[in-house]
Amino acid sequence: MNFHTAGKYAALLSKDYAEDIFALLVNYQAISASEVAARLNLHIKTAQDFLEALEALGILSREEVLERKRPYYRYILQQTRLVIDIDLMQVKQEPSHNSLSVRIRERENAGVRFSAARNDDYITSVTIWTGAGREQEERKIKLTMPQGKFLYHLPFPKAQPMSVAEIMQKAGVDESLAPEVLDLVQLLEKYEVIESPPGG
Amino acid sequence: MSLVRKLKPDRNITGALIPLSMLPIFGLASLFFGIHTGFITIAVLMGVYGLFFLYGFVRTGNVAQLVLCIDGIFFGYMLLVYEPTFGLSTMGTMEFKAAYITGVIFFGIVLVSLAITRRLKWRGREIFELAAEPIEEIGDGYTSRPRPVGKVEYSPQQVRSFARFCARHLIALPYTTSKNITLVPIKMGDEFGRLLGLSGDYRDATWVNFDMDGEVSVHIAHKDYLDYRESLAFDPLCSSLGQVFIEFFELYNKGEGIRVIDRMDDLKIGFFS
Repeated sequence: MNFHTAGKYAALLSKDYAEDIFALLVNYQAISASEVAARLNLHIKTAQDFLEALEALGILSREEVLERKRPYYRYILQQTRLVIDIDLMQVKQEPSHNSLSVRIRERENAGVRFSAARNDDYITSVTIWTGAGREQEERKIKLTMPQGKFLYHLPFPKAQPMSVAEIMQKAGVDESLAPEVLDLVQLLEKYEVIESPPGG
Repeated sequence: MSLVRKLKPDRNITGALIPLSMLPIFGLASLFFGIHTGFITIAVLMGVYGLFFLYGFVRTGNVAQLVLCIDGIFFGYMLLVYEPTFGLSTMGTMEFKAAYITGVIFFGIVLVSLAITRRLKWRGREIFELAAEPIEEIGDGYTSRPRPVGKVEYSPQQVRSFARFCARHLIALPYTTSKNITLVPIKMGDEFGRLLGLSGDYRDATWVNFDMDGEVSVHIAHKDYLDYRESLAFDPLCSSLGQVFIEFFELYNKGEGIRVIDRMDDLKIGFFS
């Protein structure tokens, strides 16, 4: 299950009335939104949205019923057990040879402020300003120690760029910490703080 | 030795402004409260000025600062005893004249000698000129990040001793923590703000840091970078500033600290800039 689907499950299950609706679905062979709303004293739109969301997730099925020319749906429970199972390793950024060999340096006039640690050779945070005029916002990114050491050794603007792996080695950052370094590289590339010059 | 300056001419008058400001304060105090109060006011200001240099001496170990301190206190005291209602009534006596004239002659000669030999001079401009000397490349690239410039083999005692040398000769003001010794070069006129802590955090100034693992890193403040006539390539400039201090350290370590002073004197930068 991916995070997006798990999020939908969690959002539905967190509703105050979720348990009561599931109790009805388990005990009734099929039930309509208006019946649920009347039974639990909910607004019909609330009950309708909830049932439709469950149906979209495949927890319920629905069948169309015609009554006095006006069709409506009756919902039938398809799963009696809900399991939210997320493999967290799916979001781990495994460093590839490519990502570690990208040659980078600080971008000129990046317009950010680096705060260096007082007692050691690393950067503690990077403050980035986004937007312009009244829309300008300040964003402070606190760095972990390996990220701070990495950034401390990042080549200056106009200096010869170095590969991520070389900078890590120079900064004394262990290879096993590459995912968090790469995450920072991605973030700073997004905010145009670092660059990979062509042919660098 | 090239005498082509890479720094803009020094037009900073802060250094002169502080002692000169005593004169209008004396004038205003005399105007509003009478000449007697004026003399007491300027005497107190001279004393405070002397105390500042006493602090400078304690902080740096530079003996010339102690001379300035004694000078300030001496002339402050002379102004107090010159003030007729202060109770001493010495004005116009031979003793007063003798003390005053000998004081002026002694401090005049000593201060001129200290100024000419640059022992009163904060060497920030020399440091920045030396750092820029090998840099021909123009290209900006300024960043507020510090730059690691290399690793040097030294013991904590050696680097502490070097820091004391830098302070004693007003090459840089040292800040010591358990893991680092940070040397902050100071230009003439900036010493008041830096010593009194009015110039903000020293980590925002230009510094060269020696850590206890032997790593040397450099940070150049934007204000100091803009003081160069041209936008010098920033990466080599930082590296060069680090190398200047590493060379100074090596010379000092070999017992040739005097060569460090000679190198700076060779630049022939004005006594008060």
